[in-house]
Amino acid sequence: MGQIRKLKKLPQLDMNPMVDMAFLLVSFFMMTTTFKTETPGKIKLPSSHSEIRIPDNDLAVIIVSEEGKVFFGIDNKFKRSNMLDVISKQSDITFSQKQKQVFSLQNSFGTPLAKLPDFLNQIIQGKKGVPTGIPLDSTNNELKKWILASRISNPKLRFSIHADESVAYPLINQCIESLRDLNITRFNLITLGDDSSI
Amino acid sequence: MIPPFEEIEVERIHKRSDSNKKAERRNLSVDMNPMVDLAFLLLTFFMLATTFSKPFAMELIVPAKPKENAVEKETSVKESKTLSLVLLEDKLIWYNGITDPETNQIEYTEKSLNTLIQQQLNQISDLVILIKPLEESNYGQLVMTIDLLNQNQVKRYAISPSSEFDKSLANE
Repeated sequence: MGQIRKLKKLPQLDMNPMVDMAFLLVSFFMMTTTFKTETPGKIKLPSSHSEIRIPDNDLAVIIVSEEGKVFFGIDNKFKRSNMLDVISKQSDITFSQKQKQVFSLQNSFGTPLAKLPDFLNQIIQGKKGVPTGIPLDSTNNELKKWILASRISNPKLRFSIHADESVAYPLINQCIESLRDLNITRFNLITLGDDSSI
Repeated sequence: MIPPFEEIEVERIHKRSDSNKKAERRNLSVDMNPMVDLAFLLLTFFMLATTFSKPFAMELIVPAKPKENAVEKETSVKESKTLSLVLLEDKLIWYNGITDPETNQIEYTEKSLNTLIQQQLNQISDLVILIKPLEESNYGQLVMTIDLLNQNQVKRYAISPSSEFDKSLANE
C-alpha cells in the first residue's frame, strides 16, 4: 500500500530560489551589459592606462584591421543614411531605397565607393562579400570623403581610431593625416584598459 | 418572475461555500519550470552578448595643418630642450638635440622607458619630446609610448616625421 502511494506522487522540487537567483543574475547582466560591437575581423587593441570612457553617442570610428584594411562607421542609423545621401550627391552614385536601408544597418563598412552598390546588393541577397577596405592613398583618399560626409550629417561627431596593435605606423599616419587635413585635430585612440587596474 | 430576495441570497451563499471547499482542496503551487527556463535563456543571452573589458579612449591632439597662404608661425624650440625617441622594432634609440646627437639605446620596455622619461624630465626643464616612429614601427608601440608620456604628465610632445638620420639608425 505504502509503496503504491509513493509512486503516485512525483518528487517536487521547490523552484522558487532558483528563479530568484536566475533573475538576480539576469538583472545584473542587463544593468552592466554593453553589447559587443561587431568589428570586421579580429582586432587586438593596444593597452593603455587611460581612464577616459568612450562616449556612447556621436561617435565615428576609423577601424584598421590586422591586414591593414580600413573601415569606417558612425553610430546613428539615421545619421548613416544622411551620410550616404551626402556621398551619393557628391559622387553621382544613386542608391535605391533598399540599399540605403541596408547601409544604415551596417555598423561599419570597408568598401571602395565604386563597389558599394554591389556590396549592398550582396547583403540584400543574403551573401556577405569580402570587404577590401576603404582606399586612402594620396591620389584617391575616399576616407576623407566619408569623414567629410559624416561631419555634414552630424557636426557633433567625435572621431576615434580603432586599430590593431600590429598595424604598421605609415597606415595609421595616413588616417591621422586625413583627419588633420579636414581640421580635426582632436580625436581618440581606442585602447584596452590596463589589466592590473581591474 | 423574480424570486424573492432572500432566496437569491441563500443560493449565492450556497454556491460560494461550495466553491470555497473546492479551492481548499486544490493544490496552490505554480509550476515554476517554464519561468526558470526563461530566466536562464535570458541569462545565457546576456552573458554571451556582454563585453566586460570596455575599451578606453586615449585622447590625442595633433597640430592643425598650416594654411597655404599663412606665414609660418611654428613655435621654435631650443634643440637642447628636445628629446627624440626613435621607435625601432625591439629597442628604442633616444638622443637630445637634433644636430649630431649622441645616441643612446634602451630596451623597449615600459619600465626602462619610464625611468628614461623621468630622468630627462628632472634634468631638462620645459622638455619637448619628439616621438619618431619609423616605417616599420607599429601602432602598439606608438600607443605605448604616448601612454607613458601621459602617465608622466608630459605636457609637450609631438609625433614627428623621422629624418634621414633616424632612418639610418634602423639599419645599424
